[in-house]
Amino acid sequence: MSEKTQAPIDEAVLDLLIKQAVEGLEPAEQRALDALDDAQLSGIARELEQAAAAALLVGLDTSEPLPAMLRERIEKAAPAALAGPASTAPATTPTRPAARVRRASAGGGWWAAAACLVLALIGWLRLPSNQSGLVAHLPQTHPQPPQPQTQPQPQAQPPAAETTLEEQRAALLAQTGTVDVPLAGTAEPGAAGVKADVVWNERLQQGVLRVVGLPANDPTVQQYQLWIFDAGRDARYPVDGGVFDIPAGRPTVLIPIRAQLTVHSAAAFAVTVEKPGGVVVSARDHVVALGKIT
Amino acid sequence: MDQYGALVWSLARRLSRTRADAEDATQEIFVDIWRSAARFDPAQGSDKVFIAMIARRRLIDRLRRKSAEPPMDPEEVLESLAWADPGMSSEMCTEAERCAQALKELRPEQREVLELGLLHGLSQSEIAAKLRMPLGTVKSFMRRGLMRLRENMQIDAPGVSAGAR
Repeated sequence: MSEKTQAPIDEAVLDLLIKQAVEGLEPAEQRALDALDDAQLSGIARELEQAAAAALLVGLDTSEPLPAMLRERIEKAAPAALAGPASTAPATTPTRPAARVRRASAGGGWWAAAACLVLALIGWLRLPSNQSGLVAHLPQTHPQPPQPQTQPQPQAQPPAAETTLEEQRAALLAQTGTVDVPLAGTAEPGAAGVKADVVWNERLQQGVLRVVGLPANDPTVQQYQLWIFDAGRDARYPVDGGVFDIPAGRPTVLIPIRAQLTVHSAAAFAVTVEKPGGVVVSARDHVVALGKIT
Repeated sequence: MDQYGALVWSLARRLSRTRADAEDATQEIFVDIWRSAARFDPAQGSDKVFIAMIARRRLIDRLRRKSAEPPMDPEEVLESLAWADPGMSSEMCTEAERCAQALKELRPEQREVLELGLLHGLSQSEIAAKLRMPLGTVKSFMRRGLMRLRENMQIDAPGVSAGAR
């Protein structure tokens, strides 16, 4: 274990963290811990809970499969359970610190991504002069002609199977080599509050785009299109990641990525607004979200 | 469910008093997992520990609620699944293997306190009463034991060590 030079944790606070991990805290204890609002403590709390969870796995015999009848029961009940409100966390559940860390981290990520992409956007919006902005951040390659891509473009998958896509996304995140890339909204009308991220695995050539806050579109007028910048290709011609729609009343939408060409080394992702069916080469007149792999 | 069915079922059996409880708990755990799947971060631990964290929260909550109910027929009670055989831990995941190693190094009384808290869901006060041990001693054993597990998992955080009193 590495030694670091931060102040030791107070014994009483440490006892609260231990109790939180093992049995959960009473409301007053939880409030006392919350009041400290210490990121270091949140990290320790999460680690202690992980240790308690790992202890539950020690010597665990998993040779008995999930009973078929129970599996069937769970599958039948799942749609209703997932459609309903989230079950409230038990009052004694030690979830608060870890959740706070995740929120803080995610918020920071979005903010940082937005800040980093301001300059990048300027360049990408004004292509084909490709030596500025995001393109300048990408590995330089020899110019190539546009890759042969045929119309019609891949259509968005219906967003009805959100649970399945959530599972796909989680499964991808569990794979070695998967990246989770935040995308920030741009100054394009309706895009300022957009948050998105791309979970992408190069080896599997699979990914899921998660979009929050993108305005609903009329597919007969325009559609959204995802682009994948491949370091192994000319940055002027990103790989088409698929065309998709945002239905009204769906603040969060998951989209399976359908790369039309093999992506050798993803460097960035962008979402544009295009004509119905998408385009082979985007004019980049309406970029609504952008993010690069750092 | 293909991938984690047996794991969740085993966790539920380990921390439930009856098979019927374990079945209900398994259903609730899967819903929790589906709701939380997007938050899984492989940089913070394995998928199995993530599943175990979700399962444990739900199971502890259920144990607390069940503890208020009248005693059940002893024949319905599941056999206690303690840390008697940690041999399979290496096949489970790295964290479990390291945890098993740390458990071996604990003093018996520390291990017993941890087992009652982590595997049987007893509160520190309940452990103190059961073992006829001062609450402060239970807290101390629990603190040192869990910190040792955490350290053995090579989870590193500044300012804290297993020797913290």
